[in-house]
Amino acid sequence: MEESRTDREISFFRPRGTAMRGEVRVIWLVLAGWFAAIVGIQAGVYLLEINYSELLLEEMTFFNLPIHFWLTGQVLPLWFIVLCVLFNIWMDRHAARRLDGALRFRARSGREDE
Amino acid sequence: MTESAVQLLPLAIVVGMFALFIVSGLRTSSRQASEYGVAGGYTGRIGIGAAIASNWMSAASFLGLAGMFYLTGYYAMAFVVGWTGGYVLLLVLMATQIRRFGKYTAPDFVGFRYESEAARTLAALIAIGIAVIYGVAQFRGIALIVSWLFGIAYTPAVVVGAALVVGFVVVSGALGVARNQKLHYFVLITAFILPLMLMARKLGYFWILPQFGYGAAIRDLQQQFGFAWSEPFATVTPFRWLALCFTLMFGTAGLPHVLSRFYMAPSIRDARWGVVWGLFFIALIYWSAPAYGVLARLFEARGGIVPNSSDPMVADMAVLSAARYSGLPLWCIGLLAAGGMSAAFSTVAGMLLTGSASFSYDIYPRLIRPNASETDKVVAAKGFFLLLAVLVMTLALRPWGMIAEIAALAFALAGNTIFPAFLLGIWWGRANAAGVISGMLAGVAITFAPLLAGILPFLASLPPATSSAFIGAPLVILVMVAVSLLTPPPGDGIKLFLARNVHDTAEE
Repeated sequence: MEESRTDREISFFRPRGTAMRGEVRVIWLVLAGWFAAIVGIQAGVYLLEINYSELLLEEMTFFNLPIHFWLTGQVLPLWFIVLCVLFNIWMDRHAARRLDGALRFRARSGREDE
Repeated sequence: MTESAVQLLPLAIVVGMFALFIVSGLRTSSRQASEYGVAGGYTGRIGIGAAIASNWMSAASFLGLAGMFYLTGYYAMAFVVGWTGGYVLLLVLMATQIRRFGKYTAPDFVGFRYESEAARTLAALIAIGIAVIYGVAQFRGIALIVSWLFGIAYTPAVVVGAALVVGFVVVSGALGVARNQKLHYFVLITAFILPLMLMARKLGYFWILPQFGYGAAIRDLQQQFGFAWSEPFATVTPFRWLALCFTLMFGTAGLPHVLSRFYMAPSIRDARWGVVWGLFFIALIYWSAPAYGVLARLFEARGGIVPNSSDPMVADMAVLSAARYSGLPLWCIGLLAAGGMSAAFSTVAGMLLTGSASFSYDIYPRLIRPNASETDKVVAAKGFFLLLAVLVMTLALRPWGMIAEIAALAFALAGNTIFPAFLLGIWWGRANAAGVISGMLAGVAITFAPLLAGILPFLASLPPATSSAFIGAPLVILVMVAVSLLTPPPGDGIKLFLARNVHDTAEE
């Protein structure tokens, strides 16, 4: 009895149900893209700086900006917006599929987001 | 940059901007109260986004960030990434779920999820602590602008600023100042970007998008004056950069007044899309702020001032000093000052009101006066508001850092306490009251431990307090997990609520 109750506990690492599993999968993807961009860009900038020179970073420009300013200050916030848009599109479709399933099969009376 | 005389035209613009918000507030408040939150300033997703951005923009965004760029160059990019990247965490991990909980404040959430009055009280005390620290950053910004506007020194400017804030809250409570947050945001963003465009045009840089045009200023500073302002990791290691960046991100996802925003949207879908618009509007500010820092440096260099100033007061006024040095008309500088004042006023008013509400509803009737009536709570809220204002004013007389640094300490506290409590509360059903209380206490200790380095020298090797959540938040999560596993699990009711209402796992 105790074991079955433990199995039903909510856990990010052991999601339950199709809806939660799908949501957690997309969250992992978004977080991976978020983390890799932040750490990756800084690692790249650091390696360029120590292997060459900060002067190289000054000379590598995009839209007038030194490359590290452009990547960190302009691209990263834009990338965060893109990640949020992709997440929301996925969530909207996910909610629509669930709603569609609920209407066709009337299998459950769960509430919907909207 | 204290002047000896009152700046009449900028002062008139500041007063005019507040008058605009009062008129807008009166129009909004004349609508039915029930419309507020749906139609009275939040219409549509763009409106929700503008409300999120307006709520977010404070003296730290308007003045402090440019000051950090002025002083530290590339290191300040950690603030840009931290304060925007935190919204990704907020959206994917929390926005949908906390709305489903149906609790309007952080202490409410903690008390309900962990079924513990002690946890709720602790969360309320932490929320008050965050409000006080964040308020000090705003007071510093207000005092610097008041000092310039009235031509008085910093210390009397803090007192004048505090009196103005208290007066603002009285008026805004009665008249609904800044209630129309869409208008508030668009006035603020115009006040921030228009002077920047004019400055870039005056210098012959790419002025249509000055967010890119400032690259030429970086180059000129380097080539003409040999000042390597943009050098990436000249003064700090990548570890320190990332520690600050992640601390700010965890803090963004844990700030009580940011978390409460999701209840204002009519639906979960609108709340989610509102976050995207909010992030875009916030990014507009952060794409622009570095330009003020570098332009202030460039104008100083051209004016014969050796560009090695490390005075925090000078740095925090970089936005205004860049506009002044460039010879922009006084009305333009007044617009900037009005924008900074407005951003700081609305934020500090919101934070102090949140702090006093936490006291009067989460602490006063539970710990001090169990049978308090609604009238008693209102009196307690007003009294505590004044007490908080005096406390914040006193701390602002001798601030421990620049505007952005002070704000970062509030983010560190939120990232070490509220963020783990929400994260595990939503995503791990086994987390319990003992776990969250231990975790929040550990988070408070981790946040303030680096500040004791003067007394306990071995703490000097830790990252500074403003960067503590990078290691602190994972540590607090470990403490919460360990203590929760060693103590009895939470009740079946809350587990069922999590499974059915928050994560909708009913199909299994």
